[in-house]
Amino acid sequence: MAQKVLMVDPSKCTGCRTCEMACSLYNEQKCSPVLSGIRIIKFEAKGMNFPTVCSHCSKPQCMSACPAGAIVHDKVTGAVIINETDCIGCHKCLQSCPFGQINFHPEKEAAFKCHLCGGDPVCVKYCPSGALTYVFADEYMMSKRRELNMKFTVMEG
Amino acid sequence: MYGYRGKRLRVDLSSKKVTVEEIPVGHLKKWLGGRGLNSELLYREVGPEVEPFSPENRLVFGVGPLTGTFAPSSGRCTVTTKSPIQDPPGFGDSNMGGHWGAELKYTGHDQLIIQGKAESPVYLYIHNDQVEIRDAEHLWGKNIPQTDAMIKEELNNYDIHIAIIGPAGENRVRYACMMSDVYRAAGRCGMGAVMGSKNLKAVALRGTTPVEIARPKEFFKICAQAREKLKQDLMAQMLYDQGTLLLTMPANYEQGWLCWRNFQKGHHPDGRLLSGENHRDNFLAHREGCFACSISCGRFSKISKGKYAGEITGGPEYETLAGIGPRIGLLDPASIIHNNKLVNELGMDSCSCGAAIAWAMECYEKGLLTQEDTDGLVLKWGDQELIDKLIKMIASRRGFGDVLAEGAHYAAKHFNRGQYYTMTIKGHDMSQDDPRGLGFAFGIGFATGRRGGDHLQGLPCLELTGGFYPGLVKKILGTSEAEDRLSKVKKPEMEKYSEDVKAVGDCLTQCSFTHSWSFAVLPEDMAKMVSSATGIDFSADELLKIGGRIVHLERAYWNRLLVGRLEDKSPRRFTEEPMPDGPNKGVLFPEDELIPLYYQVRGWDNETGFPKAEILKEYDLPQVADELEKYRTRYLKKINNSAECES
Repeated sequence: MAQKVLMVDPSKCTGCRTCEMACSLYNEQKCSPVLSGIRIIKFEAKGMNFPTVCSHCSKPQCMSACPAGAIVHDKVTGAVIINETDCIGCHKCLQSCPFGQINFHPEKEAAFKCHLCGGDPVCVKYCPSGALTYVFADEYMMSKRRELNMKFTVMEG
Repeated sequence: MYGYRGKRLRVDLSSKKVTVEEIPVGHLKKWLGGRGLNSELLYREVGPEVEPFSPENRLVFGVGPLTGTFAPSSGRCTVTTKSPIQDPPGFGDSNMGGHWGAELKYTGHDQLIIQGKAESPVYLYIHNDQVEIRDAEHLWGKNIPQTDAMIKEELNNYDIHIAIIGPAGENRVRYACMMSDVYRAAGRCGMGAVMGSKNLKAVALRGTTPVEIARPKEFFKICAQAREKLKQDLMAQMLYDQGTLLLTMPANYEQGWLCWRNFQKGHHPDGRLLSGENHRDNFLAHREGCFACSISCGRFSKISKGKYAGEITGGPEYETLAGIGPRIGLLDPASIIHNNKLVNELGMDSCSCGAAIAWAMECYEKGLLTQEDTDGLVLKWGDQELIDKLIKMIASRRGFGDVLAEGAHYAAKHFNRGQYYTMTIKGHDMSQDDPRGLGFAFGIGFATGRRGGDHLQGLPCLELTGGFYPGLVKKILGTSEAEDRLSKVKKPEMEKYSEDVKAVGDCLTQCSFTHSWSFAVLPEDMAKMVSSATGIDFSADELLKIGGRIVHLERAYWNRLLVGRLEDKSPRRFTEEPMPDGPNKGVLFPEDELIPLYYQVRGWDNETGFPKAEILKEYDLPQVADELEKYRTRYLKKINNSAECES
């Protein structure tokens, strides 16, 4: 069955980092960017902001790298999840993720990352600019195609 | 500790001593946060005898219980100092957006106090509780983006947040500002000049300590509700769409308070060139949000055509657009964006920079300044080549720029000419808003403001946008008549209410646009947010009382400098020259009628404009009441002397 994916659109991101606050408060009961599963990379001088978050790969390199078998796919959401109690804190997953999307929890001494909040990610819910969406891949791509082709219809009209 | 950090970090640049002080809970309850803590500290530590550029002056950064949390638009920071811009130099603070304030909170401090003076240029690097005073000799003379890039490279850390001064601050241009995250300004009151006087080029921050929340689930829910309200809010949506530039169309056409040519009139037939729509469709590269903001009014502009093609810069917002635009006779948006880039990068307040140039241009027009005074420059309204040159001359204090770097007030004093055309209050330049059209509550705020000519004293948008919220103005003030900008009804009460709310917002630190432009967040909502974050229960009334306390204390700061009733004066143009054209033709600001009423509402004495002893005691400021007594006597003498001089 097709599963929803968390898509980011940097062209819409205003760099406000509301997503970081929503994530850390909801999941960790504290407010701190370092406890957030989603992070914004800011290029202040150029006015560009890039939301970065786990892609929840189908063949995750973090999962292959984990010697403790602590990383699994969630059967319902398809999210790649780190099982905190099984994690031995070896940092292998942090090194292996090609996108740099795994964090190390400063207090729990275990790796942590985005887990899609069980299928209703709070970052998406409170993103004020629409830069984050949680959608079926096909629907997302179709709407992107539609947006692109809309320009041509305007040109002809 | 929940919400708060309970700590202030003090750095003495003379002795290189770094200390951490505990802030007692009682003190936090009394002064709430950011602006409140800062104003109290300035009152206590920087007395009337301290000169703004002396090492004894303090540069204080303050954040509040909601800074760096999920509360909407709450990452701001208040910077407070004794300001060099006014005459006499007096109370100065400036509120800065961006992400710097939140980062300060994450270092584990509610306040950062800088005092003393470094022997040679330095910058600070604060990483949680580690403080380094680092050499900045190689950064001196560099502009804002250059310095930001160099420090990041040097520390090999690109996720730090840096507050920086440009060449203007180093040269102590009286209205030099401090910029953080490259394009966010603590613009007004010469923060950059004071920083420059301390030989401090920048403050770089990296903080990783989480903010603990007393009741996290409840706090999440309250913040989420406030965010939902802001999402549905028309004002917030318009601010997202056009930024504060949405103001130029109504300001120019329907309401007529644009500051055309140094406030000579409030309207120009081609004003639509400056509209938010035109900016959005032709110059907007990107919308930018401050920390945790659910509005994102910030703009990032790109010029794609003409002489300045290819230039990018943060901004402009309304005050900048109007200040280095129509106020100096300029209507070309590309030129204004270019000028904005210049002042941003050199580190100057666009309001006061525009004001100084506007004053000089009007004096030149009226024959009060000649080429002999201006190093041969011909000062013509809207001459972009000249404006470009003047901005650079001011920042580096070259030639005639050296005089304008003192600001309009001190420049007029220097020449002993053109005082009438300095659009200043207490020596500080008006922002780009004319009370003859903007509204009378705003007018009261300008005349009595704690910073001088300043629309942010109360930001009483109840008279501007209040009408969009059915029943709101009536609920607060008992009558909806006050929704009319040019009605006098309940305006003193409106200004007082707005000042109190604004002070609370500045303490928390929550952006004014959530509670004083949009009214999606009301004092009750703030009370819920701060109570669940800190675990200390505040009611809306208690918060407003703290707001009032801060206003009284800041007033007392001025009173100690023997500034009161006599100095609460708008530029004469607003009270003596009726608006010459546009929708408000014939309107004057009724200052003499409204100020006494405002004093009455505030509990300030009508003769001196000092807060009465009983009101200070009611607001739990008995020591301030005692201290002011001797100044009251001295001020009465000052009034008598000035009356004798006039007769």
